[in-house]
Formats: sequence, structure tokens, C-alpha cells
Amino acid sequence: MEAFFTQLPQQVVNGLTLGALYALIALGYSMVYGILQLLNFAHGDVYMVGAFVGFGVLTALAPDNKPVLPSWAVILVMLLVAMLVCGTLGVVIEWFAYRPLRNAPRIAPLISALGVSFFIQNAMLLTLSASDRVVKTELLLSPRLGIDLGSARLSAVRAVIIVTAILLMVALNYLVRRTRLGRAMRAVAIDREAAAMMGVDVDRVIVITFFLGSALAGAAGVLFGLTFTRITYLMGFTAGLKGFTAAVLGGIGNIPGAMLGGLLLGLAENLAIGVSSTYKDLIAFVVLVLVLLVRPTGLLGARVQQKV
Amino acid sequence: MSVDKIGQDEWVEQAAARRAQLGWWGRAQERLESANPLLIAGILVLAAALVPLLTSNEYIIRVAGNVCLFALLALGLNVVVGYAGLLDLGYVAFYGLGGYGYAMLSSGQFGLHLPTWVSIPLVVALAALFGLLLGLPSLRLAGDYLAIVTLGFGQIFMLLANSMDRVKLPGSEQELNITGGPNGITNLDPIQLFGLRLSTVTGYFYLLLVALALVWLALHHIDRSRVGRAWRALREDALAAEAMGMPVRRLKLLAFAIGAAVAGLSGSIFAAWQTAVFPSNFDVTLLITIYAMVVLGGAGSQVGTIAGALLLSVIPELLRGPDTARALFYGGVAAMALLLMRPRWRGAALLAAVLAFGLLLKLAVGVLAPGLLGQPEQAAGLAQRWLVVPSNPTLVGNIAFLVVVALLMAVSRVRRSNIRFALLIPTLYLLAFVWETRLASQPSVTRLLFFGAILVLLMTYRPHGLFGKPRVEVV
Repeated sequence: MEAFFTQLPQQVVNGLTLGALYALIALGYSMVYGILQLLNFAHGDVYMVGAFVGFGVLTALAPDNKPVLPSWAVILVMLLVAMLVCGTLGVVIEWFAYRPLRNAPRIAPLISALGVSFFIQNAMLLTLSASDRVVKTELLLSPRLGIDLGSARLSAVRAVIIVTAILLMVALNYLVRRTRLGRAMRAVAIDREAAAMMGVDVDRVIVITFFLGSALAGAAGVLFGLTFTRITYLMGFTAGLKGFTAAVLGGIGNIPGAMLGGLLLGLAENLAIGVSSTYKDLIAFVVLVLVLLVRPTGLLGARVQQKV
Repeated sequence: MSVDKIGQDEWVEQAAARRAQLGWWGRAQERLESANPLLIAGILVLAAALVPLLTSNEYIIRVAGNVCLFALLALGLNVVVGYAGLLDLGYVAFYGLGGYGYAMLSSGQFGLHLPTWVSIPLVVALAALFGLLLGLPSLRLAGDYLAIVTLGFGQIFMLLANSMDRVKLPGSEQELNITGGPNGITNLDPIQLFGLRLSTVTGYFYLLLVALALVWLALHHIDRSRVGRAWRALREDALAAEAMGMPVRRLKLLAFAIGAAVAGLSGSIFAAWQTAVFPSNFDVTLLITIYAMVVLGGAGSQVGTIAGALLLSVIPELLRGPDTARALFYGGVAAMALLLMRPRWRGAALLAAVLAFGLLLKLAVGVLAPGLLGQPEQAAGLAQRWLVVPSNPTLVGNIAFLVVVALLMAVSRVRRSNIRFALLIPTLYLLAFVWETRLASQPSVTRLLFFGAILVLLMTYRPHGLFGKPRVEVV
């Protein structure tokens, strides 16, 4: 128990980084769910593709282990390319697998999403083989770089993650709350038909939502690769589950809720590592079931009246 | 002659006309639908029972046993997904629960060698109970949460099975080995029923077949009963069902528990057959496979589910041998082109065009840029003589794979038939190229890609599967 308390500050730092990643994934889930009431099972795999795109960009920009650009520029390019690729992937998935099922029974798009997820995983397995890849973060940010905060240590990589995640979330929040497009998105989320009658181009809003959500997942994938370095084609599955848990914890469909849920889940998991590392993946599930039992609408979600 | 048309809408009225348009396929469908499903079931089961009499090849009997096992699993999932319309993504965990339950009760793991007639009913009841427990929290909420909670449950099951080999109970220093971790539990007792000790593949095949027949019959009757009708009402519109006074929560839990019980039964037979259980026997791949079977056959249709299980467990076996795999692939593509293209001659024209395209391309590359060509393989089949095989087939094959996926998606959404025809020529050629360079050498990945694609394509094109009845949306 003593070891637990001495490690506590470090676990809090680690929890915040992990939580920032979960929050980015949760945002994509939450946005799509808010607008289409669809669980996008393929979201976790989009995140995985993002991690691999980041890895590819880093490999291309650092031939012979010597980056051709300054570190910040390399990270920026990795993020931008991954976001663009993943955003496009999200739009393609929506167009091919979900749009034909817009008015189908609810189980149909879920099964379709399951198929997409499985297809992406195995396409990665086919093209890139099953071996893990290691992102060479040390080429960009020396592991020695960092700030000491008492007994905890915030390494430069983790600082980059927290800052990037916050910037992305602030930008998204501005987009949703202050722009015309954001207003359209909120309108579609509240009532799709009414929004269409008021002249909102619903299809366009849905496409943009998928693009934004998937781009955030791609960014999360790149950031994950930078911190934890080892990436595999199977990493999307658990991450997707956790991102979803975070979204439900905060109140699904609610953007600040997704951020809060992600941070809380990351913290909870890392505190659990202090107790027993084997069962840390159990935490997400336990949290999910507890939230569903006690407060099904999540921490920040409003109670929704079912309309008939 | 005027017919009383009350209760018949336009869609139902035109059913015969639509059938006629489909030709022989429509007639076959009609025959199938009007036949007594129990008769079909009986014929199929009897035919299957003959397999061990016709061949002594153990491999074939093993595959037949696998078909029965998958059919059992698919029937159980069909109750949850097909009848009640609930997305249960933890289904495989119940199968695993059955397997591990049997392994713990009837092996040397804890020194409990319970007889089969005790352990299997116990395991089945346990699986059903877990189904109920898992369903309880999620049923308070909208249906989607059920999917994710069950998915999480499946993950937890895998995690526990993998890590419960060194469990420290509070208050004791000793480490307990419960699940055997990644090494699983081995040396299970064989199944013993009525004094018969099953030890051969044939024995387990017959056991599985009997179990399948019994479960089939039981589920058929449940489907026809009050509960079955209530499930269908629930699937179509939960809100309306509730308004009609149906006990929606109890119905959902019942479907869930029955599905879990069937999975538990299959799991325990599987464990005894394999004489061991490992965590990897119960992974997500299996889940997707069973889903593909149910969806391909047509969720809600028992005959369809069995057909799906049969198709999707036999095809991967055929893919194992390179020669049969190649025949299956080219034959399949040609058959699809001939069957799906209208008018029929278009299909033949397409195949001819693809062949000509390949020959011309090979000729052009050979004349203009022979440096691009790789070494011809020693065992160059006809296909490889026709395809342009570059010097680095893996890399080009990977890129071609991505291009083919994009092209196929585009083809499926193009409306103008001429453009589609033109697009299909390079697409099919590239598909053959990807097959030869990448897919054929990795049958397991190919199989999984195929299953994923089945789920998406069937949901978007034919949600009722091969044998299910199309839904009529009444607005």
C-alpha cells in the first residue's frame, strides 16, 4: 500500500495522458452517436490506422534515423497526414457501410459496423503482416527531456500529448458551439427531420461529423504511437471499447462529457495499475456497467425522453 | 375474378411476379418456403448421418463434426439476433464458459471427475444464468448498450481465462491455478453417456448431430409458440410490443438465456471432443464467423442459419489446398459474373473482356518494358502466365489490394451499367492479381476478410440473407 502512495503522483500524470487519448477517441464515438444514434464499431480501427499512418510518416521523414525536419514539424506532419487519411477513411466507411442503412432496423448498421471493423483489421494484417511496429519517438524527443514535478515526472512526449489533445478539443468545441456548421450539427443531433426541413443539408453534416470524429481518432492513434511506441493491428479493438466507455461515462452524445469521461477513465485505469496491473482492463468494463446501472445517461448527459 | 384484398398490400400482391423475374432461383425459394421446415431438417440430418458410413476418411468426418458444431452455435445465436433482434457480442464467452465449465468439472484440474450427465446440465444451467445476469443491467437501457456490454463481457472472459492461472485469494499465500492461463486445461474426460464412452471422431460427430437435431427441434417449436411470436414482435418494434402488453424485459432475458444455454452446450461438447480448452479457442474471430453464418443464411430463418453454417465452414476447408482454392476463386468469380449480370450474355462478355485485357496487358508490358517483369515462378500455372507478375509481387500486391477494395466499392455504387461494365474489367483483373500475389498464400486472413465483407455487403444489399424473408416496411 505504501508503494501505491509513493507512485500516486506519477500514476496521476500517466492517467491524464492516457485519459487525453481516451477522450479523443470518445469524442468521435460521441459525435457520431449524437447525430446518428449509431455505435461505430469501426472507430477503434480507424484509430489503429492512424497510428500506422503516423508510423509510416515518421519512417518516411527520418531516413537512416535522421529526421529531415525539426521535431515539432515532424510531429505536426504526422498528425496532419494521419488526420486527413483517417478522416477520409471515416467518410468512406460512412458512405459505403452506413448510409444505405440509414432507415434500416437498428441492428443492421451495427452488424455492418462489426464487419467493417473486422475487414480493416484483416486488411492491415494482410498488407503489413502481424508483426508489431515500434515508433522511434526517441528520434524526435529525447526520453531525458521532461519536467520534474515533485515525485512525478512529466516527460516531453506526455506533455506534447496533453497539449495537443487540449488544443484539438478546444478547436472542436469552438467549431461546435460558435460556427454555423456547429449549429447545423447540433440541430441534426436534436432532430434530423426537423433540421432537414429548416434547410440543413443533413447528409453533408453527417459526412463532416464522420470526418471530424475519425480525424480525432487518427490524431489519438499518432499520439498513442509516440508515447507507447509499440503498435499492432489489433490495438483498435480494446481502444474502441475504452473510448466508448469514456463516452458513456460522460454522457453519450455530449462533447464536454466525452472529454471528462476520457480523463476519468484514464485516471481510474492508472490508479488500478498501482494495485494490480493484470486486471486494469477490467476497470473500464466495471466502470461501464456501474455507470449504466446508476446513471445511464452519464455524468453530464441530460435525461432523454423517448419520443414515439 | 375479384379477390378479397383486405390485409394485402401492393408488395405482397406482387410477390409472385417478383418470383417469376428471378427464374429458377425464385422457384427454388418458393419450393423451400412452402416445404415443411421439419421435413427439410429431417432430410438434412439423415443425410449427414450417412457421412461416416460413406467414407472412412477421418478428416472428412471431422469437418462434418465441425459443421454440426458451428450449426449448433449459429442456431443459438439466431435466437438472440434473429428472433429477438438483440445484438449479443459476448456470445462466444458463453461458448467459452461451457468449454471451461466442462473442463473444470470433468478433468483432473480440481480432481473433480463428474460424470457427463451431471456436468453438462450443470454447465448449461450456469451459462443460462450468466446470460440472465449479463442481460439484467443492459436491458434497463436502449438496445445499443447491450451490444457494448456483451462485447466487454467477451473481452473480460478472455482476460480472465488468460490470467487466472495464478490467483491469490485474500488471506492465503498459495497461488491457485484456476484456468491454466494461456496453456489452458488439458486431459479432459471424454463424454460418457448411457454406458457409452466416446473416444472416436465418429462418436463425437454423432453426438453433435443428435444435439443439433434436438436443439433444432426445440427451437423450431419455441419459434412457433407464443414466445416466438412475441420475440418477432419485439424485434420489429419494441415500443409497439410493449404497448401491447408484452413483458419486453422478460422476453429479452429469455432469448438471451436460451442463446447462452445453447452456446454452453456446444462449448462443453467441443471441450470434450478436443480434450482440452485454451483461451484462443474463444476469440473475436470465432464471434465474427458465427455472425457471418447467421447473417448469410438469413437471421431468423433456421434452415438459412444451417445453410450459412454449412457454407462458411466448408469453404475455408476447401481454401486450404492451393489447387482447390484456385478453382474455387476463379470459379466463384466467373459464376458471380454469369449469375449477377443482366442480361446474361453480359456476364460472358465481361469474362471474355477481362481475359483479353490481361493478354493485351501482358503483351504490352512484355514488349514495352520487359524489365518490369519478375522471374516466372517455377510452378507457373495458367493464371500466372496470363498475369503480369512484377519483380516485387508483395509490395505491388499490397497496393493492388487497396486499389481493388476501392474499385469494388466504386463498382457497387455506380448506377450506369455501361460504366460499371467498363470498371469491372480492370477490377476483376486486379482481383485475380491480388489473389495470386497475396490472398492465395494466406488462406486464414483471406477467410477473415471474406467474413468481414459478407457482414457489410449482406447488410447493405440483402439484409435478409440468402434464405430469410425480406422485411416489408409498413409506414
